[in-house]
Amino acid sequence: MNRYLYDGTADGLLSAIAWILEEESDPQQVALGERQDTLFEDGFFIGTDATQAEALFYRLRTQAPDAAHSLYYFMLAEKEGMESSLLHYISLAFIHGDKVNGHLTHPSVRDIVAVAKKAGRELHRMKGLLRFEKLRDGAYLAKMEPDHNIIHPLAWHFSRRLRAQDWFIYDARRRTAVRWHTGTLQFGTIEQFTAPALSDDEKMVQTLWQAFFKTIAIPDRKNPRLQKSNMPMKYWKYLTEKQGE
Amino acid sequence: METLTKLQILSGAARYDASCASSGSKREGPACGTGNTSQSGICHSWSDDGRCISLLKILLSNDCRYDCAYCVNRSSNQIPRASFTAREVVDLTLEFYRRNYIEGLFLSSAVMQSPDHTMERMVRVAETLRNEERFGGYIHMKIIPGSSSELVRKAGLYADRISVNIELPSQASLQRLAPQKHKEAILEPMALIGREIQQSLVERRTSRLAPRFAPAGQSTQMIIGASPENDFQILRLSQGLYKKMNLKRVYYSAYVPVSEDNRLPVIASPPLLREHRLYQADWLLRFYGFSAEEILSDDEPNLDESFDPKTAWALRHPEFFPVEINRADYATLLRVPGIGVVSAKRIIAARRFSAISPEGMKKIGIVMKRAKYFIICSGRPFEQTLRQPALLRQQLLLGESSGSALPALPKQLVLPGIFS
Repeated sequence: MNRYLYDGTADGLLSAIAWILEEESDPQQVALGERQDTLFEDGFFIGTDATQAEALFYRLRTQAPDAAHSLYYFMLAEKEGMESSLLHYISLAFIHGDKVNGHLTHPSVRDIVAVAKKAGRELHRMKGLLRFEKLRDGAYLAKMEPDHNIIHPLAWHFSRRLRAQDWFIYDARRRTAVRWHTGTLQFGTIEQFTAPALSDDEKMVQTLWQAFFKTIAIPDRKNPRLQKSNMPMKYWKYLTEKQGE
Repeated sequence: METLTKLQILSGAARYDASCASSGSKREGPACGTGNTSQSGICHSWSDDGRCISLLKILLSNDCRYDCAYCVNRSSNQIPRASFTAREVVDLTLEFYRRNYIEGLFLSSAVMQSPDHTMERMVRVAETLRNEERFGGYIHMKIIPGSSSELVRKAGLYADRISVNIELPSQASLQRLAPQKHKEAILEPMALIGREIQQSLVERRTSRLAPRFAPAGQSTQMIIGASPENDFQILRLSQGLYKKMNLKRVYYSAYVPVSEDNRLPVIASPPLLREHRLYQADWLLRFYGFSAEEILSDDEPNLDESFDPKTAWALRHPEFFPVEINRADYATLLRVPGIGVVSAKRIIAARRFSAISPEGMKKIGIVMKRAKYFIICSGRPFEQTLRQPALLRQQLLLGESSGSALPALPKQLVLPGIFS
């Protein structure tokens, strides 16, 4: 079994996979891992080539759009140690096309699809659970700490939705941020986050929302377990309706 | 009155409406406005009763002329009354939407002076949101029975979904508990909405600019346990509504005792288990190819409390089983207890590659707890108990009681003779 290494970046991973699919006759028998720079590391290092990585993604998108979709979500999960599975999955996707996502009895397919699903689920969840606060200058700010690196697709979602207002989303776990201003998205990193002042009417609107949240529940049907299973407590930190409870 | 107090009164009065869906409509937001809708709908929070919050669900007013026995807002009930102005509702919706609290507005109302008077004020809210504020988010509007067809049409043009509540599943119960409401006043607008939706769909096939009429369809709601109808009657009514009126959803709302009227049953807690079973049966009608007559009959007119309706059907039809996982078609797979739409699709996708083994079933994520008694994999059975229905019943009951995902639901207290 041949063993290959790459530099640990996303581009490096995809260009290594592109290289192996090109050069190896049976990619299912090949292992791929991140280079650790230890003395006795075993394997052949493949250099990073961003154009190769991009070409692989576009090729996959034309031949198996659903698999390309899964690949995109898999990358949002920033999972380590699953490089070989991803290689096997992509090689199967080029053979079977979109049907590959149904090949769940194959361990690599199952693992990749499961991770991609989980990332997709959190993205969908954050579309609902993200909370903006109005700042003194009239812009809106939302903070979050998601498990997956979903800021790009999330920002795209809000750029279609909240077009008429300026807003920021800040990922406190990764210290990344995005700004929507004059019709464009700008991504960046924030080293030192200082909470800006809120607008004067912000507290009032939050009070109204908290009141609504309380009264909309039917007291005779109280079910905290169901509430927690639908809305896990790890998200409560930034939820307006869960403050001061 | 302060907005906060009004909001508390008018959202408290609206909470018994079960519907909160924001799905079924996909709209790109206006370029200079706020909001769009997503096909699958988005939940924004979950309240303390575990139900999803996706819309700002409020009444325009709870000041009702009618005196329906089951309703918290009935005119004879001594509760604080309040009414919003159109502007207040519009501002609340927008402030909440901009902070991503909600997906849109669900506006209903008590009947103020007359149905038309009320409906007109509700339509004005939607009109302001759409035309003045360029709001592109989701709007669900309730139709007040008895309002003019002109207003119903207008509502359908602004809203994504509209609904008329049936409230009680038979004319007799309606007469008894809601004497000011009439069956015709409920069914006529439903039929009108159905026709308008159909017509708009036809027109939009030839022109993309043709107006959309309630693109997310229409729904309705019935109260369960306030009147003596059995599950079979209710399910047949739903079946008719889905088939003849093209409804998207029928909601069932367990009757919460909000009044001590002697026309109503005395219950300790809402019949949540019955509501749950009705929803399961409703799903069988809509997604599993079952008919109401297969699920229930005149001899057995109520859903089994200990088994879900599909398992109950399977226990009555041992001749249908075992089902061969590697050969059965989609419709047959769907009839196996424990196998739902997702599992059936996964089985079909996975067996294209190779026959599925018993271990493979677990790998592709099929929950075998109930299914294992009803299936075979390439001739190999999972469990031997299938030939003895009584034993199977027992096995299934044992399985139910250990670590079920559902919380223990209180049973409905049945008081015989209460309706005599």
